[in-house]
Amino acid sequence: MGNTSFSKGLPSTLNAPPFVDNWRRKALIAGVVFAVIAVVLAFLGQGQDAQHLGWIHFWRGWLDGYVACFGFCFGGMALLMVQHLSGGKWGLIVRRPLEAMCRTWPMIVLMFLPVAWVGATDGRLYIWAQYSNWADALKKGLIDNDQAHAIRWKQPMLNVHNYWWFSLACLAILSFYSILLNKWSLQRDADPEPNVAYWRTKFENLSGFGVVLFAILLFGLVIYWVMSIDPTWYSTIYGFQYLVGEAFMVLPLAILTLIGLSKAEPIRSTFRVIEQHDLGKLCFALVMLNIYFAFGAFLIIWSGNSPEEIPWYLDRIRGGWGVIATLDVIFHWLIPFSLLLSRDLKRIQSKLTVACCVMIFAGFWDLFWLIEPSYRDAARDLRLSWGILEYVAVPAALFCFWLVYYFWQLTRRPLIPTNDPHLAEILEHDYVHA
Amino acid sequence: MPLPEGVYCLMAEFETPTALVHAAHEARKAGYRRMDCYTPYPVEEAAEAIGFHRDEVSLVCLIGGLLGLAAMFGLETWIAVWAFPLNIAGRPYFSWPAFCVPAYEWTILWAGLSACFGMLALNGLPKPYHPVFNAPNFRNGATSDKFFLCLEATDPKFDVAGSRSFLEAQSPLSVVEVEY
Repeated sequence: MGNTSFSKGLPSTLNAPPFVDNWRRKALIAGVVFAVIAVVLAFLGQGQDAQHLGWIHFWRGWLDGYVACFGFCFGGMALLMVQHLSGGKWGLIVRRPLEAMCRTWPMIVLMFLPVAWVGATDGRLYIWAQYSNWADALKKGLIDNDQAHAIRWKQPMLNVHNYWWFSLACLAILSFYSILLNKWSLQRDADPEPNVAYWRTKFENLSGFGVVLFAILLFGLVIYWVMSIDPTWYSTIYGFQYLVGEAFMVLPLAILTLIGLSKAEPIRSTFRVIEQHDLGKLCFALVMLNIYFAFGAFLIIWSGNSPEEIPWYLDRIRGGWGVIATLDVIFHWLIPFSLLLSRDLKRIQSKLTVACCVMIFAGFWDLFWLIEPSYRDAARDLRLSWGILEYVAVPAALFCFWLVYYFWQLTRRPLIPTNDPHLAEILEHDYVHA
Repeated sequence: MPLPEGVYCLMAEFETPTALVHAAHEARKAGYRRMDCYTPYPVEEAAEAIGFHRDEVSLVCLIGGLLGLAAMFGLETWIAVWAFPLNIAGRPYFSWPAFCVPAYEWTILWAGLSACFGMLALNGLPKPYHPVFNAPNFRNGATSDKFFLCLEATDPKFDVAGSRSFLEAQSPLSVVEVEY
């Protein structure tokens, strides 16, 4: 700090290198391919078994992909706010990628509309919407007693009207935050004076409240979007798990972005090993926090001896799901934990890339394990069908399309914020602070 | 048991750790084995010079940890499967993932306790009486700024006159005979 003579000057260009357009093209092609596969799979699945679940699985896959993309967008915004609150050099280097992530909010709003329309209004994803007339459904034997009871008493919250209203209100508030954070960031760079204290306070005041607000809204959203698929079950740590789960996917994506961009200026000379190491350490912390919440939730419910809650896990262990659950632990914790334990690995780009890819993959895998067994046709019975493959095709397509938008946003601003006291530090040579 | 009598050791006092380490090296080279160094702070070279060897505390710790793991895991399995089986919503009796945390905790607890008590058992502490405190210069200097080398009388090579002249050749501040 206070070092006015930079050891190496600011790179001559601060804009994204031209190869980002190439990434965008590739993501677009992959997205189109996955989308075509998804539609083909839906038709194949439709004709496959007696229940004709092809298109239903398509929309379940959409929900899976949507929740993931929501996490990349607004989870990125949450990490951006955390970074404004904590300060630090690691925050400066990831700030612009995180801002680009949360500028994708229009796409997240658009992606939500089919979920709400097909899932709630049409009732194809949520049984509380499908059988809002629970007494009738119970008489016809379409739902059991427990489900009828849950639908009846949760109706004040779980109804189509409130689903739409709450989700859109949350998306509006979060988008407003995203707009504000991005606008101020540009204004800060354009400020002719550094005004460090003024800007820091301004961002801190917005972010401090914003982080808490985001957590509360997220809790509500995941209850509506995912937990309510099985209205008989509830858990108070569910929101926390998604909160950490989003950071678990966002931070690796930010690291991958930086590693990709570091092939050229301006990131090549500013993304130093020391910040890379710091980001790797933060990933490691998230790996531990994630398993702590996931295993803690399991242990408390499992040892709590409550017959109302344990079946939620049995639905996800029996009938072939045990394989998915075991692999979930391996992908989510064992592999990233073992990899990130090494100091060298966090400092070598090619190896850190592997760890980050595993983490993002694990995030999608976990969503599959959380969503699909919530449906009664799949609980305790993992049936390998064309429809199950929708959980690969649709989320992959949505994620690729989201990446197209993200890469586009990445090219629209300089990749390094220039009005920040940490700038002098990241321009110094690697060993100065090592 | 009769109290031992006679000479416990010959004690040489040194001004610097370098002199102590040098003397300890010479003593080992001369064939002395039962000897000890006393310093106000840890001097690793001195431990090396008198032939410090690895001890068995880590093995005791490992065995203790494994016993703790087996004990708690066994206890949980016994309770859940045989002694008090509870059928809650069809949950399997033998749910090993849920047993991990207490079993892990007992591993830590038993490993820690065995390391602590194993260390005490192997190094002979606590020792309420030790003859070296009979030397007044030891009482004054051992915990502040002096370095001591003791050649113990139980060493087969020890002989009062010969060992004294050996120590005096190492240019110490003083050499004293310590009684039991």
